[in-house]
Amino acid sequence: MKRIVVDVNRCAGCRLCEMTCSFRHENEFSSSKSRITVLKEDFFGLDLPVTCWHCNPCSAMESCPSNAIQRKMNGLVYVEEEKCVGCGKCVESCVIKAIKLHPEKNFPLICNQCGGKPLCVQECPTKALAYIEVEIEKPKLPSQILAETLKRWKIIA
Amino acid sequence: MPKTFGYAGKILRINLTRKEVKTQPTEKDLMLNFLGGRGFNAKRLYDEVGRHVQSLSPENKLMFATGPLVGTAFPLGARFNVSAKSPLTGIFGDSNVGGHFSAEMKFAGYDQIVIEGKSPKPVYIYVKDQEVQLIDAQHLIGKDVYETTEVIRSDLGDRSVQVAAVGPAAENLVLYAGIFVNLARPAARTGMGTVMASKNLKAIAIRGTGSVKIANSKKFWKIVDEIKEETYAHPQYWPRRIMGTTRILMLADRLGILPTRHFTSATFEAAARVSGERLAREFNVKNRACFSCIVPCSRFYVIREGAYAGLFGEGPEYEALGSFTARVGNSDLELALKAIDLANRLGLDAITAAECIAWAMELYEKGELTKKDTNGLELKWGNGEAILALIRKIAYREGFGSILADGVRKAAEKLGKGEEIALHVKGLEIIQADPRGLKGYGLGYAVASRGADHLRSEPFIELSDDPEKGKELFGVPEATLRLSYRGKGKLVRFFENWCAIIDSLEVCKNLAENMELLPFKKAAEIAEAVTGIHFTEGSMFEIGERIVNLERAYLAREGIRRKDDYLPERFIKEPLPNGNSKGAVFEIEPMLNEYYAEREWDLKTGIPKAEKLRKLGLDYVVEDLRRNGVNID
Repeated sequence: MKRIVVDVNRCAGCRLCEMTCSFRHENEFSSSKSRITVLKEDFFGLDLPVTCWHCNPCSAMESCPSNAIQRKMNGLVYVEEEKCVGCGKCVESCVIKAIKLHPEKNFPLICNQCGGKPLCVQECPTKALAYIEVEIEKPKLPSQILAETLKRWKIIA
Repeated sequence: MPKTFGYAGKILRINLTRKEVKTQPTEKDLMLNFLGGRGFNAKRLYDEVGRHVQSLSPENKLMFATGPLVGTAFPLGARFNVSAKSPLTGIFGDSNVGGHFSAEMKFAGYDQIVIEGKSPKPVYIYVKDQEVQLIDAQHLIGKDVYETTEVIRSDLGDRSVQVAAVGPAAENLVLYAGIFVNLARPAARTGMGTVMASKNLKAIAIRGTGSVKIANSKKFWKIVDEIKEETYAHPQYWPRRIMGTTRILMLADRLGILPTRHFTSATFEAAARVSGERLAREFNVKNRACFSCIVPCSRFYVIREGAYAGLFGEGPEYEALGSFTARVGNSDLELALKAIDLANRLGLDAITAAECIAWAMELYEKGELTKKDTNGLELKWGNGEAILALIRKIAYREGFGSILADGVRKAAEKLGKGEEIALHVKGLEIIQADPRGLKGYGLGYAVASRGADHLRSEPFIELSDDPEKGKELFGVPEATLRLSYRGKGKLVRFFENWCAIIDSLEVCKNLAENMELLPFKKAAEIAEAVTGIHFTEGSMFEIGERIVNLERAYLAREGIRRKDDYLPERFIKEPLPNGNSKGAVFEIEPMLNEYYAEREWDLKTGIPKAEKLRKLGLDYVVEDLRRNGVNID
């Protein structure tokens, strides 16, 4: 399936992806309401956008006590808002920490790839994001990407 | 509360003496007449921090202000302004910085944060939306900027919290300590970090979950698209992405304006070796960007071999690079990176620190200082060991370092020598561009409201040396010729007003001004689309004019007059010895007369005329100045 992937060398951490995402889905600008989140480690100069990989199986889906997290025919994970009790179990269990709760409505914010034309990818100024076919079901963990990147930059041996 | 667009709508006041936290709605008058950021701070500083307030007393107020475009997808960056009465200059203090703090402030719900009083013991402030806590900071005392930021982020258990911190230099009350965000981004100038530390405040940590709403999204995205298209097609886009401001070093060398060995030369034989080009080729691994910026011009470097192998970090910008290379006669790029890293960690303003060091080096080279005076340091041009040692000594106020810790003006006073080569205006040290080869910039240094500084006017158009532009913009072809004196009053007035607007919208001057992406008309359009308040090209120009005049009134109240609008003797008397501006000196009188006339300020005193202030709606300032004994007519 098609997924949003990141080239960590290119990402400069401007967070325009967060801004375009929150505006597209919530009609306002807010990092807390975007479906994509840029993790930043200033000391190592690392900027890493994280968004739902739509893993199969999905640990967030498995942890949900009210079966609010479901999968569509096309493979995308989504939330049935009326079933969600806002417990935040999904936030804890997502392996790449791609989920946060809407700060006011308390349901999980999960990327829906803008229906096949993800705006964050389109708007990324450094082309660090791409939307391509990837059959790998398990994403790399942010900690692993950090370690690999620091090695590549020869910051750590 | 009524819906606000663009603005957060609230101002946070924290009194550290009384441990009191208050919020108030953002005054409508501020939005309409002062726009945001620098304008907000200028107004409040004028109104609340008067002539009798001592810079390092609890009565001084430290203000952080962001702008209406910050926290949106407007793609020209997101900055904020820090202002207070300056301990370095004793007058209007002010510094502007990018990074990610500013947007977080908006998401937390504040347009401005005003810090008053003095905490009885060291604290840091943690703002999480409406919740404000004063947290004990005893464990952070003595820690450098990097450590402080790290410890606060792990104490709070939140990697995304934005931190504005000061280092040991500020704690030791070095008069030019900065406030640092995202580790390596300082609001460095005029000693704002010193004011913060004098209040026993080590850091401000901020996190917001709120949002910014805009009034007219259709118009907003239309303007954003136009600006993006222009940016990507701009000839400066790639040079800026690859080198950021460090690209200026070679440019300055070519023009013969690169301050070398304390302005005794205008070109540096080792320029290529310490250039942005070399930095990009050999050391940079990636770009970094401020919040919502489409030109990620900040760079992350790694040194992989040699004496400083294992050093890595974000930056530097041209000012710091020029400071610790040409200005101090150092041709070792890696050493410069080390010096800048050290200055950042200890929390110093690199420009002022380098001027103090270069000044001492010149005196040493001339035999006016000896090893006895300098604690055994051999202050020869480019002596790396001595440079690093002096940075530490300054930050910790040790021995000779303590003399340099109060800035170059006071250092000359204390030593009783070197006054004629102490390169500052109104107590603020001059930046890395020789005014003898850039007359408009020089006039800008002379009249800038925070002392010698290019960012108050930055008339970059002078570098074009294109008379057609001068004719078109000001009706004076010479206005845009860098070695000419004519038309510079008009030039500087125009650019000062423009910079005031950009500093108040809190977007990036590199893009908005240097790349000409946000002229007055477009600034009005985007401000209106975001805030819903009606702005025009004319009203924007007037807001810029109002801010500049109010800052000037602040200076007038502090006793600043025409006699203070001059450059140091070196630029007046010593012709440039080499390079593409060879032979040039700097004469200010004709330019100053033209500038005051353009500004409608009194020719003899440099004080704004009462009629001018009234035209700008600043009637109360006229009364206030008179009450304070200022002769204004």
